[in-house]
Amino acid sequence: MTISNEVSNDAPILDVRNVVMHYRTEKGDVSAIENVSFSLKSGESFGLVGESGCGKTSMAMALLQLQAENATFKGGEIVLNGEDMLKMNPAEVRSHRWSDISMVFQGAMNAWNPVHRVGAQIKEAMDLHIRPQLSHTESRERIASLFEMVGLDPEMMDRYPHEFSGGMRQRAIIAMALSCDPQIIIADEPTTALDVIVQDQILTELKKIQHDLGMSIIYISHDIAVIAEVTDRMGVMYAGKMVETGPTIEVFHNPKHPYAFLLLSSTPSITGPRRKLAPLEGEPPNLLDPPPGCRFHPRCPFVTDQCRTEEPPLAEIGGGHRVACWNWESVPPLSEGLRK
Amino acid sequence: MSGYHANAFTKGSPLGRYVIKRFVQMVVLFLVFFALSWIALQAIPGNSIEQQLRLNPNLPPEAITQALARRGLDKPPLEQFWLYTKAFFTGDLGVSWSRYPQPVSKLIAERLPRTVMLFSVALLFQYLIGFQAGKYLAWRRNKRGEIAITIAGVSLFTVFYPWFGLMMILLFAVKLGWVPTNGFIVEATWRGAPVSANHVMVIMFFSLLAVTAFIGLTSWASSRLDQPNRRRLVKIGAWVVGLGGFWLFWATNQYLVYAKDVAVHLVLPVSVLTMVGFAGVMLITRTSMLETMKEDFVTTARAKGLSEAMVRDRHAARTALLPVSTSLVLAVATVIDGGIITESIFGWPGMGQLLLASVVSEDIPVALAAFSFTGILALLGHFAADILYGVLDPRIRVTSQG
Repeated sequence: MTISNEVSNDAPILDVRNVVMHYRTEKGDVSAIENVSFSLKSGESFGLVGESGCGKTSMAMALLQLQAENATFKGGEIVLNGEDMLKMNPAEVRSHRWSDISMVFQGAMNAWNPVHRVGAQIKEAMDLHIRPQLSHTESRERIASLFEMVGLDPEMMDRYPHEFSGGMRQRAIIAMALSCDPQIIIADEPTTALDVIVQDQILTELKKIQHDLGMSIIYISHDIAVIAEVTDRMGVMYAGKMVETGPTIEVFHNPKHPYAFLLLSSTPSITGPRRKLAPLEGEPPNLLDPPPGCRFHPRCPFVTDQCRTEEPPLAEIGGGHRVACWNWESVPPLSEGLRK
Repeated sequence: MSGYHANAFTKGSPLGRYVIKRFVQMVVLFLVFFALSWIALQAIPGNSIEQQLRLNPNLPPEAITQALARRGLDKPPLEQFWLYTKAFFTGDLGVSWSRYPQPVSKLIAERLPRTVMLFSVALLFQYLIGFQAGKYLAWRRNKRGEIAITIAGVSLFTVFYPWFGLMMILLFAVKLGWVPTNGFIVEATWRGAPVSANHVMVIMFFSLLAVTAFIGLTSWASSRLDQPNRRRLVKIGAWVVGLGGFWLFWATNQYLVYAKDVAVHLVLPVSVLTMVGFAGVMLITRTSMLETMKEDFVTTARAKGLSEAMVRDRHAARTALLPVSTSLVLAVATVIDGGIITESIFGWPGMGQLLLASVVSEDIPVALAAFSFTGILALLGHFAADILYGVLDPRIRVTSQG
């Protein structure tokens, strides 16, 4: 593995700026990603959290330009190492896939083609991106070392996906994601389909690999506990918008957007102080016709008239912590909970 | 952890048990089919051979009894069945009643290769064209041409086939005169020929098979070469040597003129069978492809940066091939029913025509043998399709321990 572990400057390797993406459907445009910005520095891990349908997987797919056919970008830039991916032609995009940004998919079950050997599927990516092309022997040695790195028996490279357990498949996916020395790995619900023990093993493995190889990882999960465990910075998405970003410790312990606050209030904490769990009521809005003003206002306990008409900007509140809420100052500390 | 094999990228997983299991099933199925054919032919009302003998006024009753006894027809049915089974499996197929005294085995040996040739070539084209067409149809969904191809395919698939065959004969053989109207050979060409038509056809069949196998195996072996730049070279070399060798073999062959005659007679029946059959394959492939294209592993393939053609061929189409190969199992069954119709329309003297003639004339020994060998043909096709499926889908195979 030849990855430079140095963070030469603070310029982000990935900069997502004001991306707007809509899905065109028969019923009208669905605003799946609305003005989302975030950036990723070399060696950093960033988490995206939110309910199902909030746009986090759409965002992940957009980073690889793998959005559905009916998706259109209405604006914004996805700048990878100084180049805007939204302006690239398909061949240029393909050359960046996997070699610069690879992905650990959710539900490892179907991410593997059932009719090809696992090793052959990894080799396919290496043949495409590693220059000069490796010989078979070199490929096998590289896959063997990748397998050992993720805790798999190198013999397994000659097996088919159905001969792997769920956890093994996910480890092999990680090995495949590492195969072309990418700068960034997107881990989309990397542990969702796994039992808790394997979940923990996989997360530990990912953290260890990131530490050893120094790459950046974007974690995407609905499980805020997973994000809190493995990321340096995080962003909370709601209904296609980024509502709160900042250092993970800050957002996790001191959420200032009412949605993040309620999301964390509904999650039990084993180590933290005892508090009452509050349910997060209501449902995410229909993105065919999003509510005016703040998209969270119909479910928000802190709602004011301003929220119903004016959209709050994502504003800095100190220490790199940014919140898109007019009334963030009225959100109480997490330990106090919501007083009825 | 160590000790993995550094060479041979893909290690062979044993197909053995799967193949043996299928083979045993096939043998059992054949025995059932054999018995049912025998019962069905016994169930034909009347006793044609006895009636024919009695119609002859010169034959005394003792001679008739003797003639029946010689054929074992005086025995009870169960014993007849046992005697026939014993004879069949020891290679004695008896003598034809309607073409007395021709041995049945000679008739079968003459007819069987012709049917194999016609249908194997037609099935090959049906699947090659049908699969490619279905693949592009699914991939270019909602694009121009899709509706036209689908309508053409469905029309050909549903057309009344004997009528369509006759129309094609009328157009290409009668009006345009490009190909012969019917038959297997032109008698005049073969007058004084040093070789039988069947012999030439068998050479044709095996030369085609040899070239296909050579190109296929060499390309497959080339993908395992260690050095990437040599793989392409060997692959191109395989095509050049294979096709060149085929050309050289026939260009210098003394039987070339005879082979051409057989080939010309194959054109129309093979084309018609292909046109009628490819649409079914195309529609199955299309549906299968559309399902496969939704799978996550297709997204994975794209995420890896593979080109659209690689995603389509290596991932979507390769996996979509599985249900298509299942349909091959059903298609080989058409050799039985389609054989009779096709061979009658195109005057192709194969097993189908023999079957029809022997049943009509109640030539029981020939009919039984024709049924049995057509059955064996269908079962072998079925067996081949089963093995193909096992090769294509690793999940089907019995995995070895360790």
